[in-house]
Amino acid sequence: MPDQKHPEDTAQDFTCSSRRVFLKATTALTAIALSPSLVTKAAQKHSDERIAAFFEKIPLNIEVNGKAYKMDTEPRETLLDFVRERLQLTGTKKGCDHGQCGACTVHVDGKRVNSCLTLAVMQEGKKITTIEGIANGEELHPMQASFLKHDGFQCGYCTPGQIMSAIACINEGHANNPAEIREFMSGNICRCGAYPNIVDAIVEVKNGGKKL
Amino acid sequence: MMNFDYIRMGTVQSTVKALDKFPEGKIIAGGSNLVDLMKRNVMSPNKLIDINLLPLKYITEFNGGVKIGALALNSQAADSELIKSKYPLLSMAINAGASPQLRNMATFGGNMMQRTRCSYFYDINMPCNKREPNSGCGALNGINRMHGIFGTSDNCIAVNPSDMNVALVALDAEVMLSGPKKERKLAFADFHKLAGETPQLDNNLKANELITEIIIPENNFFKNSYYLKVRDRNSYAFALISVAAGLEMNGQTIQKARLAMGGVAHKPWRLYDAENFLKGKTATVAVFKEAAALAMKGAKSYGHNDFKLELAPASILEALSKAAHLS
Amino acid sequence: MENLLHFAPDDTDRTDGILKVTGGATYAAEYQIEGMTYGVLVNSTVAKGSISNLDTKAAENAPGVTKVISHLNLNKSVPRYTKDENPTIDRSIQKVFYTNQVYFAGQPIALIIADTYERAVYAASLVKVNYEKAKNLTDLDKNLENAIPAGGKDYLRNQEDAYKNAPVYLEAEYHQPNNIHNPMELGSITAHWEANDRLTVYDKTQGVFGSQRHYASLYDLDSKNVRVIAPYVGGAFGMALHTWPYQDAAVIGAKLTNRPLKLMLTRMQMFTMVGYRPETKQFIGIGASEDGVLQGITHKAWGVTSTFDNFTEGTVGASQFMYKCPNVNTQYSLVKLDVSNPIWMRGPGEATGMFALECAMDELAYKLNMDPIALRMKNYATVHPVNNLTWSSKFLDECYEMGAKKIGWYQRNPKPASMKEEDMLIGYGMGSGVFGAGRSSATARVILDQNGKLTVQSAATDIGPGTGVMMKSVAMDAFQMDGDQIFIELGDTNLPPAPTQGGSNTTSTVGSAVYDACTALKEKIVEVYNQSFATSYVFTDFSFKNNDLEIKGKQISYTDLLKKAGLKDLDITRESRGGKERQLYAFNSFSVHFVKVHVHPLTGMVKVKEVVCAVDAGKIISEKQARSQMIGGVVGGIGMALTEEGVYDHRYGVYTNNNFADYHVPVHADIPPIDVMFVNKPDPYINPIGAKGLGEVSIIGLAPAIANAIFHATGKRVRDLPITLDKIAIWS
Repeated sequence: MPDQKHPEDTAQDFTCSSRRVFLKATTALTAIALSPSLVTKAAQKHSDERIAAFFEKIPLNIEVNGKAYKMDTEPRETLLDFVRERLQLTGTKKGCDHGQCGACTVHVDGKRVNSCLTLAVMQEGKKITTIEGIANGEELHPMQASFLKHDGFQCGYCTPGQIMSAIACINEGHANNPAEIREFMSGNICRCGAYPNIVDAIVEVKNGGKKL
Repeated sequence: MMNFDYIRMGTVQSTVKALDKFPEGKIIAGGSNLVDLMKRNVMSPNKLIDINLLPLKYITEFNGGVKIGALALNSQAADSELIKSKYPLLSMAINAGASPQLRNMATFGGNMMQRTRCSYFYDINMPCNKREPNSGCGALNGINRMHGIFGTSDNCIAVNPSDMNVALVALDAEVMLSGPKKERKLAFADFHKLAGETPQLDNNLKANELITEIIIPENNFFKNSYYLKVRDRNSYAFALISVAAGLEMNGQTIQKARLAMGGVAHKPWRLYDAENFLKGKTATVAVFKEAAALAMKGAKSYGHNDFKLELAPASILEALSKAAHLS
Repeated sequence: MENLLHFAPDDTDRTDGILKVTGGATYAAEYQIEGMTYGVLVNSTVAKGSISNLDTKAAENAPGVTKVISHLNLNKSVPRYTKDENPTIDRSIQKVFYTNQVYFAGQPIALIIADTYERAVYAASLVKVNYEKAKNLTDLDKNLENAIPAGGKDYLRNQEDAYKNAPVYLEAEYHQPNNIHNPMELGSITAHWEANDRLTVYDKTQGVFGSQRHYASLYDLDSKNVRVIAPYVGGAFGMALHTWPYQDAAVIGAKLTNRPLKLMLTRMQMFTMVGYRPETKQFIGIGASEDGVLQGITHKAWGVTSTFDNFTEGTVGASQFMYKCPNVNTQYSLVKLDVSNPIWMRGPGEATGMFALECAMDELAYKLNMDPIALRMKNYATVHPVNNLTWSSKFLDECYEMGAKKIGWYQRNPKPASMKEEDMLIGYGMGSGVFGAGRSSATARVILDQNGKLTVQSAATDIGPGTGVMMKSVAMDAFQMDGDQIFIELGDTNLPPAPTQGGSNTTSTVGSAVYDACTALKEKIVEVYNQSFATSYVFTDFSFKNNDLEIKGKQISYTDLLKKAGLKDLDITRESRGGKERQLYAFNSFSVHFVKVHVHPLTGMVKVKEVVCAVDAGKIISEKQARSQMIGGVVGGIGMALTEEGVYDHRYGVYTNNNFADYHVPVHADIPPIDVMFVNKPDPYINPIGAKGLGEVSIIGLAPAIANAIFHATGKRVRDLPITLDKIAIWS
């Protein structure tokens, strides 16, 4: 089960006081309110500083691989660290943490993105798919099977990102020939150099014509 | 990264009010540049104002051009049949930038606000007037292979890294900005600024203004457009030089030309003199060479980027030749 | 050598393939342990000097922080560190947090430990450091006069600098910058003290036993108290050949907090904390008779190392024996700079040295008006020129012919800047590769269970080449058994010892151990049969086929045999190593790379259009993965040739491009189809399986092939890697 406990010993965090001001201000400005009732109440009651921990975190409703999670998240937590460290879905990899390698590629509402450069808190209500969510039980997703067949990987570390990207590449309509595949897969670096095999794997899935 | 407040806005009005109220806050849309900069501690806003729920994701044709909401994704425009058929220069430029994943995150407004990739700006232990005014420019006498050759100042020789911006400036785009009191329209060419005495400012957007829309006026460049990006690898790299070329042709005669360059200045760099020169001329290699030479007037290099003085005119020639279907 | 029937299909999948495509393979920072903490390293931002003040108070007080470790509080907590006053141990690796001295920019100076990753990262940003800065030197070119000889490495055969007396000769300088391994997996470790004297480490390492010895030595532990687990390693290419200070930091941090600790370097830290292929300047003088007979080669190299190490590469080694040449002298000098330690990177030494030699051969061929392949064949060595041994096997000549034919070498117009297609300049180029074919010792264990299935164990790691499938293929061949009956276990110190994965040694060494263990198991099966049925058949009376044993037309399943014998399983462990053949023959793998490039006539942008590799690596054990490994080396070589360069700002001694946006490794769009051809003839002497290894020759020779192709396309000789378009300067 995901961790939903609020740490209670973080009173010294310096952002807490300003956050109360902010909560009031937000309400005044008719922002779409995020404040969970608990936090709002705590703020209104000027509860003691132990409440500060609440202010670190914001509730988050998110669906990952078809499973709904009610969690909370520090705004600074990236989607990548959220899935790896909080949900323990470590199939999504950290290769650079700066949107420069594609190892962290996941689908958000069906679109491929770099999970390292988006915040978990920004995914409220979104559907996330990671490498762990594409096989049908024991049966591999066609792209997974094709990567295996064409040896589209060596060390395997960029592989989940390559596969998630490859599926999206076909779904976007950018896999019509090897040159186009190469261009539209260039956001996924493979240092072992499995590129030609990856392209072969994608071509085969594309030609297979299955809905992905 | 330090922790920060996070608010999610529902309307343009409330967003502008929030900006007014919290000048230290930063807008977040795609996040692909801001989160990167926050991880490097280059930017440390204490408040993020998430505008992704604002109704600004549209790409709409109107009588006189196309309107693109500030939250439209780069990939959305690049893949749009409307943009591909009528404004292919924009589609080509966007697809030349970043990666498919980043283009799925990056918005038009966010891409316009993208900060320079200068390594001295990115490394908080290095001097950089843009990041920390009056700390000096690390690149001026440092590693400046990627840096500017037009409109530079000793304060800053960084370049705007965007490809999209180069196409938009070439296409005479305009930008709608919303402030607390009023809306205003700005020529895209006037949105970004040169470093001058204030390198910390990339553009003329006021602190309490929000980019809401980009307007591209109708044009006749779609048959003769080309975006050339010259870089150190064949994809997923910032431009050494890029050229956006749009021609309106009558036979081999150029009725109208639009030319802009990336990787050369603090803003997307429009080549007005070359455009004027090309008007009425016949499209030939010799004419394009002359236009390229004109475009290079006033260029200045800094050592590692000396080659740009040669590469830039070669790139202009290539882009024009491709646009005119000479090669 | 026995002839192995090749039973394993060429398209056998990787043993860990399904786990890797489903996200189920767990790398070093992906183990879940109760009470986990997160470590983040703070590193120096100046290249030389000392830390005058390190203020960690704010970090210590930050939410969630459990400890901050630095030279201020490490004290004497690490027994190994206190044994001597040296700031380094083992192979000149720094003791972490041992001193306030700063030797290079990016040196780890403090470890933040917190309960979440975000909190650790934030706290790290609160550490304030003041330095007493000293002038730093990081520029190789400006410090050549401070070069020192690398001990005992100079070589002279007959006359020195004899090339100068040859009728045709050339002298040229070559340069290659720092290349950074940059495997996709960041340097990662999870350290868990399960008891005060018992440590488990989930590690990014190429050799679990090397890591085990190191960690045990830190705390004077018996090696058996330290378990190192590394079944999946997300690439390494040499950077994980030994442990680094970041790994010590994690082990120390976990010890001092008594909590499991996970530490992952940042991509920026990967540039300074885990080695690199050192910047090297080279000089080649080479001379030949008018008809192309080599008369002299002089090859000198100046390689960068740190101030606290004498890292030396075999850069000039291949020039001593690659070609038949009466006079050869080579020299390697070290230039010590205020930089971090280099370490071997794919094709170490040879990748650098052969860039110079194979470019020089191309230049010489043009000077002689000879075909570059004809020049190489004219000087083809059949006896190793240094030790006068014959090669155990050498089919380099076949490689030249196979590759040349495939790419259409002889159809090209060799005149520079003479060929065009699609408005692009075309160039063809080639380069040869060579690397030692080694064999050390390894132990394998093979278990036959009552279901008739085999389990094969050896502690070797698999950093990507497919060690698991190689082990499986050898067992499949030995037992003529289907792959789905064979299970592989590797990458764990609890398994039988195997050497560190590196130097193209693993297939030769571990594959042989698996072969020997399988052979011993087969003998044992025969023995069990004879005992169980009171027969006295000899080994050759038996054949082994899938789950069955066949004797003179009769068949018995292993399941029935074990039942009959009353055995739960049969279990054999064998150590295997090379013997006196190592003194009788010269052992090398060879490759030839052919490339075709396009160069844009206006901008000079290069695109590699086609690559053909012909390889003599002895017998190919698992062809699908061997092919992949060759392709991988080519991709690495394309990066080395065209894009990769660690760039310092020498004023500060810091990298300006320590990230994947600015340090350009090849992307999909840079890589054309790559055609790999294997000679695939077993080496009769190296080991019982006939395999020589190919991880290194996959990259060696590729960079010169590209440089030569660019010359052919443009007439421009660029001797300075990477060959970026500003160096081609097509416009001038």
